[in-house]
Amino acid sequence: MESDSQLVARAQGGDQQAFAELVRRHSAHVFRLALSVLGREFVPEAEDVAQEVFLKVHHALASFRGEAEFSSWVYRIAFNQAVNLKARVRFRSPHANDTALDRVAAPEPDPHRKAETAQRDRAIAECIGTLPEVYQSALRLYYWLGAGVVEVAELLGVPENTAKSYLHRARLLLHGMLKERGYSCE
Amino acid sequence: MNEMDLRQTEIDELLRRSMNAPVPGLPPDFERRVMREVRRRAEPLDRRGRLFLAAYAVISAVISAMVMREQGLEWGTIAAAILAPLVLVVVARAVRRAACRPAPQSST
Repeated sequence: MESDSQLVARAQGGDQQAFAELVRRHSAHVFRLALSVLGREFVPEAEDVAQEVFLKVHHALASFRGEAEFSSWVYRIAFNQAVNLKARVRFRSPHANDTALDRVAAPEPDPHRKAETAQRDRAIAECIGTLPEVYQSALRLYYWLGAGVVEVAELLGVPENTAKSYLHRARLLLHGMLKERGYSCE
Repeated sequence: MNEMDLRQTEIDELLRRSMNAPVPGLPPDFERRVMREVRRRAEPLDRRGRLFLAAYAVISAVISAMVMREQGLEWGTIAAAILAPLVLVVVARAVRRAACRPAPQSST
């Protein structure tokens, strides 16, 4: 199998097949990263971000010198693109809110408890939304998208220990915020 | 277990429950869509576009020359003022193309 750098060299020479292979290899990661920034409410926007990222990459491929890994370069573009889009869509109503989406967890039989859980989930989502972008992204990658610490680190372009510390600090901040709002974490 | 570890465990379990939701995926034709868009954007201008661009360039060059001449500039200076940016663009594109050309592979 050809390495990314070999494919990049071919794509820089105008080989569209090589670029298509790069898209195939990295599209799922780019989409997950965009989702982690934008959240569950903006899935179609995350898809648009993924497409826009590859168009940007194709346009800027000539300027890629291979000083960093191709994947790191693409993920950095994806993160910035998603953060920029998030700033624009922040005030637009989401396609679906957190509670409207089907939860994988077992449904709550007691309606009162169900309402409480939904309220707490909304509070968690709101608190997450106030965290710094990298913390939000790390949390969504880890808890929602099922990424391991290694993948979180790779997508955010940081060492593994930094990714761990993002998660650690985000959890502590969330714990404090939820307590302030009167929610128990048990 | 100290206080901080306890907090971490509590919030970890809560987040696992709260953020447990279906994970969306990209549509199967995503790559095809990207490549179609890449090809569309890479297409050179059609005949009409080229004609329009050429007409615009000629008209603006003529008007610029007339205005500069009225200001009392020599034809040589006018020609240099109009042609210098063009030359710069051509040189910059040639340099960029040369820099992007992949290095020849050794035969060994």
